[in-house]
Amino acid sequence: MIRFIAKRLGSGLVVLFVVSALTFFLLYVSSGSIARNILGDQATAEQVALKEHELGLDQPLVVRYFSWVADALSGNLGASWFTSEPVANSLATRIPVTMTMVFAAMILIAVCAALIGVVAAVKRGWVDRVVQVGAIIGDSIPGFVIGVILVTLLAIQLGLFPATSTISPEAGPEAWVYSMSLPVIALLVNGVTGGAQQIRSAVIKQLERDYVRTLRSRGIGEREILFRHVLRSAAPAGLTVLSLQLIGMLGGVVIIEQIFALPGMGPLAVAATGQSDLPVVMGVVMYTVVVVIVVNLLVDIFNGWLNPKVRVS
Amino acid sequence: MKLGPKAAAAALVLSASLALTGCGGAANSGSAAGAATSLSLGTVQDVRSWDPAQAHVGHVLQPYQAVYDTLILREPDGTLSPMLATAWKYNAGNTKLTLDLRTDVTFSDGAKFDAEAAKANMDHFKKANGPQMAQLASVRDVTVVDADTIDVNLTAPDPALEYFLSQAAGLMGSPKALGTEGIKTEPVGSGPYVMDKAASVKDSQTVFSARKDYWNKDLQKYQKLTFKVLTDLTARTNALVSGQVDATILDPKNGKQAEGAKMKLAANEVDWQGLLLLDREGAKNPALANVKVRQAINYAFDRKTILDQVMLGQGTPTSQPFGKASGAWTEELENYYTYDPAKARQLLKEAGFEKGVTLEIPSVPGFETQISVITQQLADVGITLKVGAALTNTYTADIAAQKFTTIFFSLFQGQPTVAIDQIVSTKALYNPFKNATPELEAKIAAVRNGGADAGKLAQEVNRYVVEQAWFAPLFRVNQMYYHNSKVNVTPQIQQAVPSIYNYSPAK
Repeated sequence: MIRFIAKRLGSGLVVLFVVSALTFFLLYVSSGSIARNILGDQATAEQVALKEHELGLDQPLVVRYFSWVADALSGNLGASWFTSEPVANSLATRIPVTMTMVFAAMILIAVCAALIGVVAAVKRGWVDRVVQVGAIIGDSIPGFVIGVILVTLLAIQLGLFPATSTISPEAGPEAWVYSMSLPVIALLVNGVTGGAQQIRSAVIKQLERDYVRTLRSRGIGEREILFRHVLRSAAPAGLTVLSLQLIGMLGGVVIIEQIFALPGMGPLAVAATGQSDLPVVMGVVMYTVVVVIVVNLLVDIFNGWLNPKVRVS
Repeated sequence: MKLGPKAAAAALVLSASLALTGCGGAANSGSAAGAATSLSLGTVQDVRSWDPAQAHVGHVLQPYQAVYDTLILREPDGTLSPMLATAWKYNAGNTKLTLDLRTDVTFSDGAKFDAEAAKANMDHFKKANGPQMAQLASVRDVTVVDADTIDVNLTAPDPALEYFLSQAAGLMGSPKALGTEGIKTEPVGSGPYVMDKAASVKDSQTVFSARKDYWNKDLQKYQKLTFKVLTDLTARTNALVSGQVDATILDPKNGKQAEGAKMKLAANEVDWQGLLLLDREGAKNPALANVKVRQAINYAFDRKTILDQVMLGQGTPTSQPFGKASGAWTEELENYYTYDPAKARQLLKEAGFEKGVTLEIPSVPGFETQISVITQQLADVGITLKVGAALTNTYTADIAAQKFTTIFFSLFQGQPTVAIDQIVSTKALYNPFKNATPELEAKIAAVRNGGADAGKLAQEVNRYVVEQAWFAPLFRVNQMYYHNSKVNVTPQIQQAVPSIYNYSPAK
């Protein structure tokens, strides 16, 4: 198992390195005009040159990249070109907002999708058809549309929730939960419908296997077959779906955070990319890659634990 | 490993509790509700750095005003009043501005405001390479005359200098804090408010509380002031309509929703939109060298209809790029180019382009509708508009590098010399081909040396660029600033959002 984890971690590090280099060199294309963008319309050529020197833009690209790598390895991700705020600080204040939202949504997705999927698979009939139709509808409505509908209905019409975030240290945990509720619901609808559909298929597939028939013939109860055997075998498929959804959610969360004005990674990523604020973009990319690697690793470990065959392959 | 019912139950309880707490109450926790002495404003972006030398103008100036006083105060109508400077006067040649300063003002860290502090700020502004450094470009040096007087010595007359001292260049920070790391994240000024760092969240909201013993109580109308960062237009509309903010800037379409919710409008014309015909000597597009072609472009537009369709009528059709408040504006230039497609065709014929002219312009995010409408109207007179790839964040560099011969844009209408240096003079970014004629140069020089008459003299520059059709302006645009009934708001001239002094609790 340790070798397995080490191997996965090793390949993760390679991915991290390749992605960082690609991002850095691709952003270089637009970084030539950064100094002018920072200084604005009225800046003179001398001011622009001075700023470029300040930011180290007058150095060769490769030198700049490796000095970034060296700094990053020592834990220094640099500072925003536009705000001078250290990138590590920016990430530290924003990651909790985004991750709280993503994890709350994931937990709810896991529970709801599992419940709905299993019920649909076991009951079949009209319940199953409703779930299937629901999955198609749920998949076809983007999360941000759901977000807009929720705000209009629950925040503006009924006044049950704040229309935009009220997250602040002085507001307390209750305001936090209020602020997070609508974005979390907007995020999870697609996940629940999609996830339920996958779990349903996986459970049906297991229910049709020979071992279930054997268990039934031995007189073992349906409930025990379902919870002890079928769900365990169907779990890897469900986990894989969840991990894919979590990774996909990192994209959806960007728009949701904009709509609800949540100070998470989304607005930071959008602003930094729009301005080609290279140190911040690199920080955001590194964060995203690390999350993806960690999620995949956890799923692999979990699947490996459930099914030893995975470890060998 | 067993994924037993226990794990499922635990997850269920966790999710249920999350959902329940989310739906448990109906109270709206909006911070603006309640006390009349708190004001919450929706802004489009957070402050980049609280170092006053990194401050910006227009709507980005507002949060700096909460914590930093300026040397000169700009009234809503544009007149300049005393603030930290009680009086100021130019020498005969307009090359030295002498300012008398207040002596009763302290910064929030206890440092005293005096001539040395003012000099320290201006010196810092000049060398900090901030986004508005050009505001002090004409300043050679600042000398301390005595404890409450400074001389600002110029390399050349600059009629905009007093205005600049009411903007970014006039913001005064504590001399003890200037240049430190701390001031980047926590402002130290002498302004009416101090930042409540504990209640502020970067990129979400900045909270200020009234400063005790502030020297000018008239400018301090609230106990608490909050800037809520709402980048997204829909989010700003939602926050205003639901009462989370008291005032914010919207656009004509979202404004309808705000009006439906009984919000009040404080409209103000600040920018103009239209074509900038940059290649006036035909370096890349020979057709543009002919003034008749440029005039034909101007005659091709039905400005009123475009305004009504695209901006729901929120603005004023115009043929001149200089704004009403600049002093350079004149009534006679307002409708200089009327909608006359026949005349446009005639002019093209006279110019020898009766077979048509092709213009290439970049697509501009946010202006797609405008560009498609003008493409149609230009096609009607025989001018083909080829719309290229979208402007990216490299556009300023691309414009400077003469990549575009024509662009569609929205531009700020500032003070006469500010506008000249933005779109007309050879150092203007929006004059990348450095077009100039001796006649125009003389008119610009007259404005620069014109002192108090600069605005009036700039009318000549305006007339020149209109007659020569350097641009094809369509209209000045209304900035749609909305507020609720708890607050009175006075629009600020040449600013999309008002200065913070222009808000007061509604009685």
